Amino acid sequence: MSKVSTEEIRSFVLQELDEPLRALGHEPGELPDEFDLHESGVIDSFGILELITALEDRFSLEIDYENLDPEELTKVGPFARYVSQQTAGPA
Amino acid sequence: MGATPTGGPAPTEAQIARPLHAGFERSAASFPGRPALEVGGRTLSYAELRDYAASLAATLIREAPGGEPALTAVFAYRSATAFAGLLGALMRGHGYVPLNHNFPLERTRLMLEHAGCNALIVDTASLLQLEELLDGVDRPMVLILPEESEAAALVARFPGHTVVTAPELEPAASLDPVEVDPGDTAYLLFTSGSTGTPKAVMVSHRNANHYVDVLVQRYSVTEHDRFSQTAEMTFDNSVLDMFVPWQCGACVCCPSRKTLIKPGRYIRESELTVWFSVPSTAIFMRRLGALKPASYPSLRWSLFAGEALPAEVAEEWLVAAPNCTVENLYGPTEVTVDCLIYRWDPARSPGECEHGVVPIGYPVPGMTALVADEALHEVEPGTEGELLVSGPQVSLGYLRDPERTAAAFVVPPGHDAIHYRTGDLVRRPADPDAPVPYLGRLDHQIQIFGERIELGEVEAAIREESGVDAVVALGWPVTTAGAGGIEAFVADPDADAGDLKRRLRERLPGQMAPRGVHVLPELPLNDNGKFDRKALMKMLEEAT
Repeated sequence: MSKVSTEEIRSFVLQELDEPLRALGHEPGELPDEFDLHESGVIDSFGILELITALEDRFSLEIDYENLDPEELTKVGPFARYVSQQTAGPA
Repeated sequence: MGATPTGGPAPTEAQIARPLHAGFERSAASFPGRPALEVGGRTLSYAELRDYAASLAATLIREAPGGEPALTAVFAYRSATAFAGLLGALMRGHGYVPLNHNFPLERTRLMLEHAGCNALIVDTASLLQLEELLDGVDRPMVLILPEESEAAALVARFPGHTVVTAPELEPAASLDPVEVDPGDTAYLLFTSGSTGTPKAVMVSHRNANHYVDVLVQRYSVTEHDRFSQTAEMTFDNSVLDMFVPWQCGACVCCPSRKTLIKPGRYIRESELTVWFSVPSTAIFMRRLGALKPASYPSLRWSLFAGEALPAEVAEEWLVAAPNCTVENLYGPTEVTVDCLIYRWDPARSPGECEHGVVPIGYPVPGMTALVADEALHEVEPGTEGELLVSGPQVSLGYLRDPERTAAAFVVPPGHDAIHYRTGDLVRRPADPDAPVPYLGRLDHQIQIFGERIELGEVEAAIREESGVDAVVALGWPVTTAGAGGIEAFVADPDADAGDLKRRLRERLPGQMAPRGVHVLPELPLNDNGKFDRKALMKMLEEAT
């Protein structure tokens, strides 16, 4: 698993969710770091699974989300940072 | 068909002829100081929850003294008011009608209007939608807003209706016990209907008590148990979540919507002893890496219902929760939550699964199952057919819908009892002691996150919104448990797919709204001249 940057993860997530984000009136490029994809109704739990699967396929990753705080799993910035950190391997 | 090898005696008629909330009342008398409910960071003892509910019941009696229908709607979501509200409706002698502010408003209004309720208990989070919900409701309603105190402003916001806020609630002590006929409706829940309108299932106190009594005995529930509460109140799995623990003085641990995103942490932090969810939640946890060995030692029972349970999920769950027993529960809302149960046995069960799906097992004590052909005659052993169920949990039918009630609640030739036609395809086991396997649906109903959805209802909505007759809705992607969502096809190349999708989202609740809308010049037909669903499915496969 090679290191993937937070920015790469973030832009992939926003690209994957472009349609539902726009449908709800959000401009993907202008989302704040703390934007919550679940609270805002952009994705449900099946959507999270789809997103995770697409992300792992795209970057050939296998991520364990067990240590990610529930509050952060569905927030754009914290989620992207967590995934990026996991790709960096053990500290 | 064989009876369950793990059930005790069936509850007697005398036992189940009581109000649904009688078990809660008994626990409130026996364990007044024990926790009855954890919700929104608060713990309510049995005495506190009982008093809150009794106060709402007494207020309902004062404001809406009689008349039909004997139903009160509860427009509240994962709050103390939601739970006290439905108990209050029951204590008032009404059935409860749960409404959910996460549903499209149009759907909630349809439910409220079909039920014909004249009283509504509302929490603060749902109050935001109330004006719009009541827009177009002509009759005067009693609006009980127990979390509000600014009466004057609210009275002005809801002209023509009676508004009751916290200071005007009756004290709990003023409630005189209300006599309840156990044959009356205890709750009204809506299920998807193939013709385009949902069906309102009336479940009686007697029906629900039979179910609760079977489970309390089966799981030896005590006041020390702590139950998960994953199902929305609009979904009948919530009846287990609440009334089984409350009958025994145990605690209902209700997570916020946010907490539910990480179910593993919720199990650990709430120290749950009984878990109950749709299999999709377990599949979700597995994907997030939350089914590691011995993660959930506190669980003693793990129960799954609402959709097909994949065998590998049962196996992995047992590794993650090694001190528990896993059971697969089966049943439509019309037969009161669950009527067949299968206990997972790590040694025997893998050999009893078909296509990787756990069997639905055996009828619970007091209920009987019949596997029948189209003429409703029992099929030969080893043959497939439709599952029909009879017994004390067969509900009262659909509210103000004699036609659809007569079609689904039938007396098969050679029988005396009413049987409910589940529409589920099963096989009558060749060996009478073997469990019943679940093989799928006979019609176009699908299950998404445990929710039974008639594709016909989705198609009716698409037809209305698009003005096009040739439409198809499919469950996609297909999963072992059911489907992940719905994809819609419309034969109109000029249709605006994005706009149609948005309008369907405003109209259909949650999983029922298509995740994708595909516009085609025309829809493919099969040899019978029907829309070729398989070809459309293939189109989706190729696109991914």
